[in-house]
Amino acid sequence: MSASPMARHVESKAIPIKRVALLDPSDLPTDYSTTPGGTLYSTTPGGTKIVYEKAFLMNLRSSPIARTPPKFDIPQNLQKGTPNKSPTRQQHKQQTPKKKNQPKENNQFQDDEQFQLEM
Amino acid sequence: MSNKFEALKHHAESSDSGSGEDELGSNITTDLGPVEYPPGEHRLEHPYCLWYSRRPAIGGRNLSMQGSQGYSQALRLVGQIGTVEQWWGIYCHMVRLSDLPPYTDLHLFKKGIQPMWEDPANSKGGKWVIRLRKGQSGRAWENLCMAMLGEQFMTGNEVCGVVVSIRYQEDLISVWNRTSSDQAATARIRDVLKRLLNLPVNSIMEYKTHNDSLKAWKTPLNSLKS
Repeated sequence: MSASPMARHVESKAIPIKRVALLDPSDLPTDYSTTPGGTLYSTTPGGTKIVYEKAFLMNLRSSPIARTPPKFDIPQNLQKGTPNKSPTRQQHKQQTPKKKNQPKENNQFQDDEQFQLEM
Repeated sequence: MSNKFEALKHHAESSDSGSGEDELGSNITTDLGPVEYPPGEHRLEHPYCLWYSRRPAIGGRNLSMQGSQGYSQALRLVGQIGTVEQWWGIYCHMVRLSDLPPYTDLHLFKKGIQPMWEDPANSKGGKWVIRLRKGQSGRAWENLCMAMLGEQFMTGNEVCGVVVSIRYQEDLISVWNRTSSDQAATARIRDVLKRLLNLPVNSIMEYKTHNDSLKAWKTPLNSLKS
């Protein structure tokens, strides 16, 4: 039930539709699928740049590609040292040349901590 | 002094490009080959390189090695990033800042710019430095990297890179820009930093030209400071 007394008496009506028969693509209006007033999408002053907002980047963080370890070797003391289920990561770790005298640190990380979002 | 830096640069560039670590046991690799842009990934405006350095603690065996020469030798290229996915790939497989030992620095710079004062892109530049309490730097660093990779600074090509420096009492994060005399650009970088990093009101921001940093470093007393 709606909380608003007004909402109880709303009549439902079909949205009015105007039908136009198109026989040829040239019948389409010239501004078909553009933003009214012109398309501004993806331009920045002084030229076009690839711009990403934080929310968009955070959204990609959990994508499968983003979770794949990089092809190059992260130095061992920077690496999140966790046994990971992923077979690709295991392979990757085996390929990593082990440096004998590099301190081994931070092996206590668990899987669940790996992709925690800090929002 | 210029001779020293010429020699330094030569040293850094002389490693075999693209072939991984050179055989002399030095970790300096300055080129990882072309950046890959796999289809379906979100390309960044610029490719970036992540560098890592760790300075021996002050009072260690060789104080003079903390200078520029020592710095370039301690500097290690970790990897390069051309897409958003590649960024998260490396970021999510690295330990948190709070688990890095003091005197570790991470440098995320546009590919082609070395995180050194002497690089041509930096020689006329400077940096904004923000001091943060230990618990605040992790998130600030993450936000800072995203802001740069996503081109949120809107200063043309002014931003060269960002650095996080792990120290004992606090951490420093810095944004390096190309032209220290460009006041509009440095002011804009400061404003974007304030807006995007959710900085505590009392955080201290300071702008330093690399030239001043270089002078300070050459003065023995000051070189002990960060």
